[in-house]
Amino acid sequence: MRVQFTKAIPALLLALSLAGCQRAWHASPSLSTTDVPVDTTITADPKLEVQIAPYRQQVTDRMSEVVGTAPAALNKGNYESALGNFVVDLQLAQSEPLYGQPIDLSLTTNGGLRVPLPQGEITTGNIFELMPFENELVVLTLKGETVKQLFDYATTRKDAPIGNATYTVQQGKASNIRIKGKPLQLDKTYTLVTSNYLASGGDDLKLLKDAVKYENVGLLLRDAILNQIRQLTAAGKPVTAKTGDRVTILP
Amino acid sequence: MQRRDFLKTTALGAAGISLLGMPFSAEAAQSINLTILHTNDQHSRIDPFPNDGRRYGGMGGMARRATLIEQIRKEEPNVLLLDAGDIWQGTPYFNFFKGELEYKLMSEMKYDAATLGNHDFDNGLQGLAQQLPNAGFPFISANYDFSKTILKNRFEPYKIFEKQGVRIGVFGLGIELAGLVSKNNYGETVYLDPIETARQMVQELRNNQQCNLVICLSHLGYKYEDGKVDDVTLAQQVDGIDLIIGGHTHTFMEQPEVFRHPSGHETLVNQVGWSGIFLGRIDYSFSKKTKKKTDVRTALLPVNTPVTTS
Repeated sequence: MRVQFTKAIPALLLALSLAGCQRAWHASPSLSTTDVPVDTTITADPKLEVQIAPYRQQVTDRMSEVVGTAPAALNKGNYESALGNFVVDLQLAQSEPLYGQPIDLSLTTNGGLRVPLPQGEITTGNIFELMPFENELVVLTLKGETVKQLFDYATTRKDAPIGNATYTVQQGKASNIRIKGKPLQLDKTYTLVTSNYLASGGDDLKLLKDAVKYENVGLLLRDAILNQIRQLTAAGKPVTAKTGDRVTILP
Repeated sequence: MQRRDFLKTTALGAAGISLLGMPFSAEAAQSINLTILHTNDQHSRIDPFPNDGRRYGGMGGMARRATLIEQIRKEEPNVLLLDAGDIWQGTPYFNFFKGELEYKLMSEMKYDAATLGNHDFDNGLQGLAQQLPNAGFPFISANYDFSKTILKNRFEPYKIFEKQGVRIGVFGLGIELAGLVSKNNYGETVYLDPIETARQMVQELRNNQQCNLVICLSHLGYKYEDGKVDDVTLAQQVDGIDLIIGGHTHTFMEQPEVFRHPSGHETLVNQVGWSGIFLGRIDYSFSKKTKKKTDVRTALLPVNTPVTTS
């Protein structure tokens, strides 16, 4: 209603508000649209275009830069997958040096991994497609009970790869949960590296909001992926991930 | 809240005044006009969004914004171009060039001032220090104390601009960094209470510096449900700010929100989404004689740009 009103008589209101000048100042009712759209009807400033051009070229070039090679595509899948395992493992490998101590667990979700990594050459652009978000890595400290809930979540959803852990799924329930080879202890606390998105309850992970501690690693997930692949390539290694020994599915 | 009622009342009041008011041109001749242009949360959006059917596809772009600003500068005698933070992070331009191009283009557009958003700390204090020489405009920040960091003495709490004798005081407020930014990245930067800081700023700018208009560049965020300090709280609790240009929450505001204080003073809060999709525009008039604020108008849309309701 307000919008219709202001749209109907903007010129009149402008005149009225100017006419009111001698009076004590009032916010004018002509406060309608304050947004000037920056759209396709506006020509780009040629001077700025010239300034931007070399940077744009570099962005294009660098997005096509090959950072590594995958002998086989890394895909998503239920429970554990090449892509899921690769990401949770690198979250640990890249975060631990910055965090300054070992981290117990690592978590991602298939929803956050937007596309598979293709077979063959992997470009920076592929990594930006895999992780277009500016998600940051964070370390949560969780109570044993919360960790138990996390495994229940992973069991039900089937789309939450977890690093440093093994568990068995039977009749929709998680059992034999082992973290770094040791059975889960409910009276202990565990550290978990994940994205700030999931840590804040994304993908229905409200249980992570029960964390007793929340610490920033100071690294974007995308940069962690890029670092890992670059380091593998520098060491002459391909981009691969083992699957099949983390989650045991029983009928 | 009360805004709706207030606008109705004023409309009636204005209709009454118009009968007694001065003719349009005579009044205009006695006025000094000031055009505030503003952005927030640019997020390294140098190029327009790809025109691929997504929301806001094809919109934005810094070179286009430059054209628009240049056009407005030709039409208006007094322009202030301001930014409310989070210039950085969001496209590969930032990942590859660390914010260099964003600052250079903003300098080219002759930004008058900006404040710091949380993402402007994404490359740490060191990353910020490295790029500051590329910014031909000042960053203003009143509630971050950098005195124990490498950025000591690099920022002023406020800046005063003078346009045809009208004094405009602009100060900056930032959001609490703990929990939002990695400690590694903000180091020993101390966050000061924004409300208390704002009161001090108003005191300084209105009383000591005799400013005719007080603007706050805020990266606090528009409104939260959990009691965290936001622009609405700031507008309600601090009397004496004329305009709060907000950011952080990427809020596309249909129009500025007006808050009226018991003193009669009114504070406007505005924010223009993110990524430079829109350029905010608010025009003030001042009496030539008294330099007092007489009027405020919003967005005079450029020719051949369709009016869209956001």
